[in-house]
Amino acid sequence: MLTVEAVQSMIQKAFPGGRVAVSDMTGTSDHFEVEVVSELFEGKSRLDQHKMIHAAVGDHLGAAIHALKIKTRTP
Amino acid sequence: MWNAQKIQEVVESNKIVIFAKGSKMMPMCGFSQHAIALVGRLGKPFEVVNIFDDPNIRPSLIEYSKWPTTPQVFVGGELLGGSDIVEELMNDGELQKKVEAAFAG
Repeated sequence: MLTVEAVQSMIQKAFPGGRVAVSDMTGTSDHFEVEVVSELFEGKSRLDQHKMIHAAVGDHLGAAIHALKIKTRTP
Repeated sequence: MWNAQKIQEVVESNKIVIFAKGSKMMPMCGFSQHAIALVGRLGKPFEVVNIFDDPNIRPSLIEYSKWPTTPQVFVGGELLGGSDIVEELMNDGELQKKVEAAFAG
């Protein structure tokens, strides 16, 4: 299990200066909704933008994190 | 026997294929269900591969697509992404264009 704060901090590290909002979708600390606004997404496909989020949470995805709903935007 | 090569064959021989948790009729995860429902709205035939049918499907799929989660939606051999991306593409009208192109080809 991971806290919202832990997920938030992992993602925030990967997007310095970006806006990161994380919520627990189910109250079970394993389904999270993530919204990230970052200039690092500029010029990247949605697929690559999501891959950057996957990379930020690393091995937790598919383990402590069962599901991640992702929304990415540029500022 | 499922391996990355078989995944590739399935992806390339179907205009639209979704690798999902559960079947088309009985999805077993909200995200898979959502992806299947979105693609269903397009009114085109599509295939669903249930990753629980065989323990080799999931690792083979990840090896092939380099995408860690399910569902995975492929149109015209291209990985579009999971349910979030498919929903955004549909709202933008891009999904419909990709599907038209896949069926025209």
